[in-house]
Amino acid sequence: MGVRLLVLVVLSVALMVVDARFTLLKPVRSQMSLVLMQSYWITDLPQRLWQGVASQFGSRTELVAENEKLKTENLLLQGRMQKLAALTEQNVRLRELLNSSALVNEKVEVAELIGMDPNPFTHRIIINKGERDGVVLGQPVLDARGLMGQVVELMPYTSRVLLLTDTTHSIPVQVNRNGLRAIASGTGNPERLELRHVADTADIKEGDLLVSSGLGQRFPAGYPVATVKEVIHDSGQPFAIVRAVPTAALNRSRYLLLVFSDNRTAEERANDAAQAQEAQDQQGGTVTPVVPATVPKPVVPATPAAATGPATAPATPAATAPVKPVAHPAPVKPAATRPAAPKPPAAAPASTGGRE
Amino acid sequence: MSRNGWMVWLTFAIGMLLSVSPLPQFMEILRPLWLALLLAFWALALPHKVGMVTAWCLGLAEDVLYGTLLGQNALILTLITFLVLSLQQRLRMFPMWQQSLVILVIFGLAQLVQLWLSALTGNRQPTLALVLPALVSALLWPWVSFGLRGLRRRFKIN
Repeated sequence: MGVRLLVLVVLSVALMVVDARFTLLKPVRSQMSLVLMQSYWITDLPQRLWQGVASQFGSRTELVAENEKLKTENLLLQGRMQKLAALTEQNVRLRELLNSSALVNEKVEVAELIGMDPNPFTHRIIINKGERDGVVLGQPVLDARGLMGQVVELMPYTSRVLLLTDTTHSIPVQVNRNGLRAIASGTGNPERLELRHVADTADIKEGDLLVSSGLGQRFPAGYPVATVKEVIHDSGQPFAIVRAVPTAALNRSRYLLLVFSDNRTAEERANDAAQAQEAQDQQGGTVTPVVPATVPKPVVPATPAAATGPATAPATPAATAPVKPVAHPAPVKPAATRPAAPKPPAAAPASTGGRE
Repeated sequence: MSRNGWMVWLTFAIGMLLSVSPLPQFMEILRPLWLALLLAFWALALPHKVGMVTAWCLGLAEDVLYGTLLGQNALILTLITFLVLSLQQRLRMFPMWQQSLVILVIFGLAQLVQLWLSALTGNRQPTLALVLPALVSALLWPWVSFGLRGLRRRFKIN
């Protein structure tokens, strides 16, 4: 018995070391997860069934009321969207004047939460989109109100998301009001983030919105992360203690958005944008210029036709290939009418694009 | 020779579901170690059938489920099964409350090893609340034991 124990212990330790240091065991893990991850789905089943039953027996008046509410909300959002289009266009023009690169559009895809990590000391969730859906490691995850976290483990049809409030997670942020940069670290409390190393004299106060700064190249810039809840100036401490509440409903949201950001370098982006502009100028350039590409527009891959309005044209080719979205050059406008090579190195499109 | 062995595996499958089932937040810290409880019972009841290798395989499955390093929970469950097997002769003679006490000690030790391992991998939990599941499991032991014994008699599992 002792020998068997020894063998198994040595085997486990070896497995742990290999798993921590090398990628050798990742395929094994993903094969096992193919079967085992079903148990999250099964434990989630009662909830689903209950929702199904509830929606079956929801009274008509309730549904009508909900419908009304959604319509109003939609109207409001559409209204805000119109304003946004104009603003984005203005922003792009101003950026052109400043010779800085255009804003990048991010595509998003809807995912659903299927399980929570059973370990109460880690804040991780499991979502129903995985490697086969084009999810990549480190991909940012949003909900309707703000950033939630990033993908830390990929499995074929599911993936694990580390939330912002996990003690091992930190995110670079910026105060929306004045651009002050800071790092927001998780505390293990789902309602609290802490800003590390903020000088006592820094201009930050209660109610400030913190948005992601895009530094660190992991999260796209400009998504809301948290609102500052309290700033404590303690003369005994070297730094101010700043506590913030995440804007995303980290422990309540069921539907999440996966952000497919564009991982080209700024130079490649500028090149593509220039070519697109050139191509457009040659064509007469009347097809809704720069605006659509920069309007953040949720592209749900199942219904590419659902997106309507003038902003659609460039967004649709991108939607038809959501599987490899990161490598896809589509987001930057009408260049996408010509389905380019899947991954443009900086030079390649320069030789093919817009000259003929 | 072995009859209704699939029942044992069914209980393990149910244990696995229980160990990932969603719980309210305040109860999550108290989640009993279902797989360890089941392993302890079956190792006592059918030592020729459920042993350390079974424990190790189940532990690997749990690692995949929890997203921990492959081998972490496998090591813990193997240790638990080893301790239970080596105390087997005495444990069988003990009255229920005494069995619970031994289970408490074994699971507590295992949780401390767990704490140590997760500290090594950089996920150190700030509290010793990690020992709470051991306590809850020890309190649940009599019920689990009675229930599984009934099941075993009913289906004549051996």
